[in-house]
Amino acid sequence: MHLFKPTGLITVFILSISTDLFSQNDSIAKTDTVLLKKIEQQMKGTEPASQPAQVRTAPSTLPEISVIGDFRASYINHVKRNFDMGINEAEISLQSVVDPYARADFFLTVGKDPQTGKFGLDLEEGYLTTLSLPAHLQLKAGKFKSAMGRINPVHPHTLPFISLPNAYENYFGEGINDEGASLSWLVPNSLFYQELVIQVTDGPIDNPSFSRSVGNTYLELAHLKNFFDLSANATLELGFSGITGANKFDLRTNIAAVDLTYRWKPVQFNTYKSFTWQSEAYFSNANISKDTVVNSFGMYSLINFQFSKRMFFTGIYSYSNKPYSAGTVENSYSTTIGWYATEFQKIEIEGKTTTSNMERDQFQILFRWIFVIGAHGAHQY
Amino acid sequence: MALMVRINIKYKKMKLKIVFFILSWIGIPAVNAAKITVVTTTADLKSITELIGNDKVDVSSIATGFQNPHFVDPKPSFIIKLSKADVFVTVGLDLEIGWSPQLLTSSRNPKIQKGSNGYVDASAGVTLMQVPSSINRGEGDIHIYGNPHYWLDPVNGKQIAKNIYEGLVKISPENKAYFEKNLTAFNTKIDPKLKEWTMKMSPYKGAKIIAYHNEWCYFEQRFGLQIVDFLEPKPGIPPTPTQLVKIISEVKSNSIKVIISSPYFTSSSSDVVSNQTSVKTIILGTSVGAFDSIKDYFDLFDYDIDKLIEALK
Repeated sequence: MHLFKPTGLITVFILSISTDLFSQNDSIAKTDTVLLKKIEQQMKGTEPASQPAQVRTAPSTLPEISVIGDFRASYINHVKRNFDMGINEAEISLQSVVDPYARADFFLTVGKDPQTGKFGLDLEEGYLTTLSLPAHLQLKAGKFKSAMGRINPVHPHTLPFISLPNAYENYFGEGINDEGASLSWLVPNSLFYQELVIQVTDGPIDNPSFSRSVGNTYLELAHLKNFFDLSANATLELGFSGITGANKFDLRTNIAAVDLTYRWKPVQFNTYKSFTWQSEAYFSNANISKDTVVNSFGMYSLINFQFSKRMFFTGIYSYSNKPYSAGTVENSYSTTIGWYATEFQKIEIEGKTTTSNMERDQFQILFRWIFVIGAHGAHQY
Repeated sequence: MALMVRINIKYKKMKLKIVFFILSWIGIPAVNAAKITVVTTTADLKSITELIGNDKVDVSSIATGFQNPHFVDPKPSFIIKLSKADVFVTVGLDLEIGWSPQLLTSSRNPKIQKGSNGYVDASAGVTLMQVPSSINRGEGDIHIYGNPHYWLDPVNGKQIAKNIYEGLVKISPENKAYFEKNLTAFNTKIDPKLKEWTMKMSPYKGAKIIAYHNEWCYFEQRFGLQIVDFLEPKPGIPPTPTQLVKIISEVKSNSIKVIISSPYFTSSSSDVVSNQTSVKTIILGTSVGAFDSIKDYFDLFDYDIDKLIEALK
């Protein structure tokens, strides 16, 4: 069925042409004086000095609040329960400026205990950041994610993949997230961006490489971030990290890490396409007894390709030993397809296979649905 | 002896090079020492700041004119600029919510933090449109304070200029008379330009058009256009087939001649509508620098109005 009859269309067409012709022929001549007067009146009424005060959204001292849901489903072979699903985590963020000198950020997590299935509240991060220290210094105090590499400082729901690269997980578990102080210095380098971060924390309680010492050994970290604008559309980041702290043998583990990220994102169409190549390598030196040192290595490399406004593809390869077993060799491959409905919702599906010379090969399919309500969070770069 | 002299000269040149390198590395400003360093979020604010501050300011913009100001990537290199800024000028109204707060915090620069003298919210005093009475993200990417694309009305440009003037005076009161002279010159130039633009657009008052994104309401109101619908079904939601079918129907029933889009949206959706109807898609500048010929805030309206008239004729 046609929506419009041809005769109706012709009539509308003729009318529109005649209206246009009429308006174009005599518009300026006839309306000149009247219009000019109107414009002048309008402009008088919109002089900045006479602007009426408009009531804007009521000011509030409440912090910005948001809640992030993380629903997951998975299939893993060679385990007792192959299929699983449920809310993996709900993260509550509260963020605000404290006063002219500092801001505070709290991230509470409601996570599920894998043994009991019950949810419990935990402080994922909670820290104060100064805004006004001299000499481009910035101090952070509280519980925070350590500034090591590219994965550790960010929250998992912002990553473009579901399962962490094996190398990262083997050395840092779910990440180093610890209590202490952090001092960062924006190096006064006008050629490229350089930031040096020094952190001293208590030491993580449950981590593959580090443990909280009962003595006076703390987790010490230094990270140097170098960022280069290669062009308007391309950037390169090169980071070096050094971490030292107590391990589960109450001796010391030292890890040197390097990260390299190339990103291409066309300025004009940055919401439609992008490409990222990101790699990290970890060199571990773990003292497990007075006479025994284990030197081991892990690395991953990933590509992330945005091929339309909403679709992303991520592929990861990881090679890894384990902190106390240089003889263990794990190779893993994963691919993730992500669909970003809006800035507040995304769905990802991932396939991952891991081969190891110590354990049976593992294959898993993961599904993740992230959704956000509340304040609009800042984007990461 | 001659050899010794040559070595000595070479040594001195090398020393100079090293000193120069160290100075550039640590970022000692050699030329712009007396100027006020201003960083703006958008190129329009940069243009107006340059017109008010003229040779007393050194201005840079974070977003380019052909970039979507909602989605600027907060590159660490912008932090360097912000760390040295005396003044930060923002569109405000949460337009830059996804990137500017993070950059400001990382800048470690107390002079430009919100509430400081160097923080200029260009939207202050602007009468806002589309202020929502309630917030529901089901309506798309709406802004809680109202539509933030207010600079697309040249009358609001006067308010922006006033806000920037006041910000510069706070930082450099000794140059008040100089900035005031430039503000007067800005207003003196924009008033007749506004008459000229309005006159040019008067034959097309009430002209129905389609827009890609809801960013033209201030422009629409000022120049008497009528935006019938948007290619995006809701702000920030990419065009859907259902929406495009609706648009095709609206274009046909209203004899709509023009779809207006912006440099940072792809043409695939508007092409679909154009192929099914006789509607033309034109890309207007939303900011200074969107196209090479848009060099300042006045050029922006010259370009957009000429382009629109050409399409509406």
